[in-house]
Amino acid sequence: MNGYIAFMKKEFTENMKNYRFIILFAVFLIFSIMSAFLAKFTPEILSALAADMEMTSEPVALDAWKQFYKNISGVGFSAFIILFGSCLSNEYSKGTLVLMVTKGLSRKAVILAKYTVAATLMTISYWIGYAATYGYTSLLWNDSNLSNVVLAAGSLWIVGFLYLSILMIGCVIFKQTFTSILFTGGIVAIISLLGMIEPIAKFNPFILTSKNVDLISGEAVPAEFVIPAFISIILSIFGLLIAIRLFNKKQL
Amino acid sequence: MNILTIQNLSKSFGKQKIIDTLNLSVPEGSVFGFIGKNGAGKTTTMKMVLGLLQPDNGEIYVCNEPVFFGQTRTNQYIGYLPDVPEFYNYMTPIQYLKLCGEVIGLSKSEISKRSDELLSLVSLNGATKQIGGFSRGMKQRLGIAQALLTQPKLLICDEPTSALDPVGRKEILDILYKISGTTTVLFSTHILSDVERICDHAAFLNEGKIAVTGTLAEIKALHGHDSLILEFSADKDLQFFKKQKSIEPLLLHSEENNRELILHSRDMVNVQKSLFRVLAETGICPVKIELMEPSLESLFLEVVK
Repeated sequence: MNGYIAFMKKEFTENMKNYRFIILFAVFLIFSIMSAFLAKFTPEILSALAADMEMTSEPVALDAWKQFYKNISGVGFSAFIILFGSCLSNEYSKGTLVLMVTKGLSRKAVILAKYTVAATLMTISYWIGYAATYGYTSLLWNDSNLSNVVLAAGSLWIVGFLYLSILMIGCVIFKQTFTSILFTGGIVAIISLLGMIEPIAKFNPFILTSKNVDLISGEAVPAEFVIPAFISIILSIFGLLIAIRLFNKKQL
Repeated sequence: MNILTIQNLSKSFGKQKIIDTLNLSVPEGSVFGFIGKNGAGKTTTMKMVLGLLQPDNGEIYVCNEPVFFGQTRTNQYIGYLPDVPEFYNYMTPIQYLKLCGEVIGLSKSEISKRSDELLSLVSLNGATKQIGGFSRGMKQRLGIAQALLTQPKLLICDEPTSALDPVGRKEILDILYKISGTTTVLFSTHILSDVERICDHAAFLNEGKIAVTGTLAEIKALHGHDSLILEFSADKDLQFFKKQKSIEPLLLHSEENNRELILHSRDMVNVQKSLFRVLAETGICPVKIELMEPSLESLFLEVVK
């Protein structure tokens, strides 16, 4: 426990000092703010550029959320995975972990501390980004007859933990940052491909990243999200346990 | 009592057998030199002692407790200094020792007390800059400080002096010598003068096995023989000298090199007696007569031959 807390403090400091958190935070915030503005002003920009183009419909608040989910599930989480893809490989290549582990720091504590810190920083960035989109959306549009806005955001957030668990396994298995990221990307791609197979699609955590907008617009109901969310959480915990198990057998 | 016992340890990387049924005991309170050429398997052995590498076979006991790969229980008795220690570059020495202290579970006051003591032991008490800007020698000294923070019973240093300049080397050896009263020190090296300077025990690692082990005096007595060099002014003197009857038995263990004759024996007194008698009788005057003590170097070369 001592080791876990001490190493967690070290991880926090490190993510501040090497600008990982600042970059992650900036990416989430910029893309969140942009979501609302782009949705609002894209038609005007387009008509300014091409005068003969007529926009058939006025942008609505839902368009802002469409942008938000596209940006965060794409760019935001990609940035998250790329930034934290080096969280173990740096320590392997430099040999800094050896001194910690030979002091009696348990390997479990190393993985748990890294996971906790990465998850916390992602959570902070994510929800501040969410708040920014929410704030600007309600500023730019007065019609707020959208439902389950928080629930939709929460479901994507849950997937963030799953991505991080997969990344941790990748980081433990591979010594290079690039391969860990590639591994995570590959597994995520497999999950989304499985989302197309009809009979099991309704259990797939992929729903949590693809149907958020439907939930807000009322085309989907919260009940559809319960099982995928549950499965996502179970898989995250399971993934983390696998990462710890593999790390215990890793030759440092 | 032995602080470290290794029994029948083996380890291969692929088809290459690095460590082959190695047996080694390090007695408590000793300064133990672990000698071997580059690539002999010194680091591999140490990493297995620390549970960082998985042995193929054999057992390791630290303070009579078995070492398990991937587990860190026995590491509480050990302080470890790798050959090139790496730290978190953005920290200062104080911050790094604080992290180490928290990992071990020391109280705040204990951490600051020990950090002060250790940093002054390794003469880094004035260093407030980030570790990233440290020289190799400074990192090595900080490495010793962090290794001693746990107040270990056994300090394992992997070639602590190999990469350092003469000043840095002297500093490290002085520190190791200073702490040898309270901590057993096991250090690997291929620099034999370092061993002769501070070690009381040593082991030679060759082809995955311990070729020789014991106290320095024992090793020298057991495996070294004294040698005597005779240099003649002309080859005919040498040939004439060799033909003398009382010299013939001495030539069994000898080498010839140009006009030099090197005699090896464990009983140098008798060799000298007959040698001087012959020289006086024949009137041969060598240009040089030198008695050579066994050195670790000659031993080392003998062992790795």
